[in-house]
Amino acid sequence: MKNKAPKKSYVRPRIILCAAMFFVFFAVIFAKAVQLQVVEGERFKKLAERQHTKTVSIQPKRGEIYDRNSRELALSLEVDSVYANPDKVRDHRMAARALEPVLSVKRAELEKRLASDAGFVWLKRQVDLSDDQRKTLDGIKGIGLTRESRRYYPNRGLAANIIGFTGVDANGLEGVELRYDGMLRGASVSRVGEKDAKGRVLLYEDMDKGHQSSGQVVELTIDKSIQFIAEKALKKAVEGAQAKGGMAVVMEPFTGEVLAMAALPSFDPNEIKRFNPKEWRNKAVVDAFEPGSTLKLFLIAGALEENTVKPNDLFFCENGAYRVADRVFHDAEKHGYLTVSDVIKHSSNICAAKIGAKLGKGGLYKYMKSFGFGEKTGIDLPGETSGALKHYKNWSGVSTETISFGHGVAVSGIQLANAVSAIANGGFLMKPYIVRSVKDKHGKAAAETAPSVVRRVISDETAGKLTKMLIGVTGAGGTGAKAAIEGFEVAGKTGTAQKPDLKNGGYEKGAYMASFVGFIPAKNPRLVILVVVDEPQGEYYGGAVAAPAFKEIAEESLAYLGVFSSLRGKALTGTASGDVSANVTTGVYKAVSSQAQGDGLASGAKAVVPDFTGKTMRSVLRMAKAASLDVDVVGSGTAVSQMRGANGKVVVRFE
Amino acid sequence: MIDRRLFSHFDWFTLALTMLLACVGLATVYSATHVHLQGIYKREMYWIVIGLALLLTAVIVNYSLLERLGYIIWGSSLLLLVAVFIIGKSSGGAKRWLNLGVFSLQPSELAKLALIIALAKYYSSRPLPAKGLMLKDMAMPGLLLAVPFLLIAKQPDLGTAIILWMIFWSMALIVKIRLRTLIGLWATMGAMIPIGWKMLKPYQKARLASFLDPAKDTLGSGYHVMQSKIAIGSGGLTGKGFTDGTQGKLMFLPEHHTDFIFSVYAEEWGLIGALVLFTLFTFLIIRGHAAATDSKDRFGFLLAFGITSMFFWHAAINIGMVAGILPVVGVPLPFISYGGSFLITCMIAAGLIINIRMRRFMF
Repeated sequence: MKNKAPKKSYVRPRIILCAAMFFVFFAVIFAKAVQLQVVEGERFKKLAERQHTKTVSIQPKRGEIYDRNSRELALSLEVDSVYANPDKVRDHRMAARALEPVLSVKRAELEKRLASDAGFVWLKRQVDLSDDQRKTLDGIKGIGLTRESRRYYPNRGLAANIIGFTGVDANGLEGVELRYDGMLRGASVSRVGEKDAKGRVLLYEDMDKGHQSSGQVVELTIDKSIQFIAEKALKKAVEGAQAKGGMAVVMEPFTGEVLAMAALPSFDPNEIKRFNPKEWRNKAVVDAFEPGSTLKLFLIAGALEENTVKPNDLFFCENGAYRVADRVFHDAEKHGYLTVSDVIKHSSNICAAKIGAKLGKGGLYKYMKSFGFGEKTGIDLPGETSGALKHYKNWSGVSTETISFGHGVAVSGIQLANAVSAIANGGFLMKPYIVRSVKDKHGKAAAETAPSVVRRVISDETAGKLTKMLIGVTGAGGTGAKAAIEGFEVAGKTGTAQKPDLKNGGYEKGAYMASFVGFIPAKNPRLVILVVVDEPQGEYYGGAVAAPAFKEIAEESLAYLGVFSSLRGKALTGTASGDVSANVTTGVYKAVSSQAQGDGLASGAKAVVPDFTGKTMRSVLRMAKAASLDVDVVGSGTAVSQMRGANGKVVVRFE
Repeated sequence: MIDRRLFSHFDWFTLALTMLLACVGLATVYSATHVHLQGIYKREMYWIVIGLALLLTAVIVNYSLLERLGYIIWGSSLLLLVAVFIIGKSSGGAKRWLNLGVFSLQPSELAKLALIIALAKYYSSRPLPAKGLMLKDMAMPGLLLAVPFLLIAKQPDLGTAIILWMIFWSMALIVKIRLRTLIGLWATMGAMIPIGWKMLKPYQKARLASFLDPAKDTLGSGYHVMQSKIAIGSGGLTGKGFTDGTQGKLMFLPEHHTDFIFSVYAEEWGLIGALVLFTLFTFLIIRGHAAATDSKDRFGFLLAFGITSMFFWHAAINIGMVAGILPVVGVPLPFISYGGSFLITCMIAAGLIINIRMRRFMF
């Protein structure tokens, strides 16, 4: 009989045996699970973590750079960068064809990059893409987009020598961008993300939120308007003289703040690749030159301070030729007896040499050193030169004489301007600086630079005597007469130095550095201004080439700052705190205004009533303060409109 | 056909066990695929619904019908396997699927049930020799095994072939085979292993080699096992929590929703979860054995036992391979691994167990 019920005695033991065997099998597997999960669990946990976690550092948005009135000098924009994972791109040729119009990169070039063995190649960094273009890119397998921050300099070449520029990774490469790179960059934030087996990082949505860090904001001492004035004047002087280049520095003598620093040739940091590295040089800081007669100032300062000479002591200027050892010194004009004041006024080399000899090697060296020559000023810009000033023990036979009139010594523009500041402010050598403050994104100051006195160099009295002499320079018959400004006393000194011939030794024929350095108003100085023109053609005297540029910068800057002639009337004091409104706009100021507007310097030009639109309340108030304006603020947010209200007040609406 | 008494004997426990396992499977598939293979869990859900319908069908139809149709079923499964050969769909170097438009069918899964039914029919149709099965008694069962086995091994689907093999010997042993017969057959086959090795595909050889030393080549064949161990091990005692596993869903673990799903499960639920799953499988096997023991006839006994051994070998080999104690042979975990054909096979099989148990008193 087939298929009867199986006997229990047959089935039971078999099933039990079988179940037991199955049970043993499961037990073995379970034991293995215990081994993996409990005994070795920790080890595997670590292995797993190592596989799937990835620490990504998120680079915060680079901080902005502003001028002293919160006007933007350098900004960061978010742009797209396009990359490819070549092994994931199916058809290189098709992809290249699709990408060519979007990226405006040659098809052949794209194909070459896609043929790379690397797992990751950039196709084009920092492009502006439309949403449609982004979609096109999304549609191509193996092509990816990432947001990068690109530096943008809204004023193009303005102050480029100071601000510098960044590389494609938003790393500072020159100027303030380099010097303050760490702060501008901000601390990169490390986030632990998960990655999958293909190395793709899976960032969770909330990761970006609340962690948006930002680099710190740097505020310069530079005044964009004065910078513009300085650059314009320098350009005019350099072009007028068909010179190779030049530099201009504008400083506040009492603080050491640099208001403007111009250099030619210059460049546009937005398109840095188009320029030669030589054109990046911030000449006033990185280049040293033989100053010539401007250095006489410090010789006389030392001699007066040491009581070696008195302003009215007479020196015989040898009628233009004077032999010392094997050398014959010449003056530009022949002079007989001159007082010390007149030695400055007429810039006699011969008499300067004599005064130098009287002061002595040690004395001369002491004062040169004391005024900061031969060592770095410590300005917060990269690549500063210390110039060249040998210790007097190493001086050759005629060094005392040549250094007395500014040869055989090399200085930087910032050293010279800073040393003149010490005369202007009554004897204090200040430490010059270019960054006023560093702030976080909320406007809280992280670091602020306070004016700092390096040392006292000369007495107030000596400074006063010198100032009087320097006023003579721009007076009738002085070498710097072209720097004279109507209504102001101008203290200044010309310099004309032959350039050393670096190849053959000696001096290069026909190659001069023409300079003018001075301060204004002489008795209550607001500005120290230095102008140097490199290799002017034709007329080469500092008084002829550089002095007019000095005048232009001084005149326009003072008008901009609202400093009015102290000589024209008692009502106007030489400070900016008077009421500055449209009815006192001088003719000079109008000229600045129109020129500036023509050059697209809108906000700087309307200094009387700056353009507030788009500014935050904080910066509006600060700008108003700088322009000595009363403003009424309405609303909050960013400024949307402005109008002139009663009593010359400006009403600014915010939304 | 439906008797009121059937309901009073309905095996609710096995049904609940089956559904519980299917739900664990669905949840684990979801967890493994929701990041990279979205939508997979929905398909799994459809398969569970279809499977449930087939399970109920398998419960309702008297299993004696299967006995009558035993060889026809076996023959039909062969036809499907042959069809795979001719018009099958290739994927990953293997031709295992029949494309049926909306879904793909994997006939080798159904072939397991067909083999069990055919063997049960054969063994129960003849009186058992007193001393056990002799060599001549093994000829017919051998043929029943050999034809689907070779067709499946040729696909190649080593995993399923091995399962057929294990089912075959489990059933032969439970029927009672003569020790002499057993030794004779195994010795002959042992001698043929070198030839078999030559017939293996390179990747199969590599898998076997990497089983022997999985740490040697973590990026190649050993990668599976190493990643699987990392996933299971990193789960620890209590696991990382549902959908919080990292190794599976982030694609470190290959085939994480099919053959290696246990690793995902163990990573997220830990040793405790693994213990729960083992317990569920143990209950399923105990219920299967109970159904076999209590069955009213030999065919029911053999059918229930064959199905139970199928569940057992699947679970044991799968977990053994993902835990690194057995070579990687591509055997899915019943009810848990993603895969329609296998899920349906398992559901029908569970239905048959309920069927046999339900009808234990019906003569």
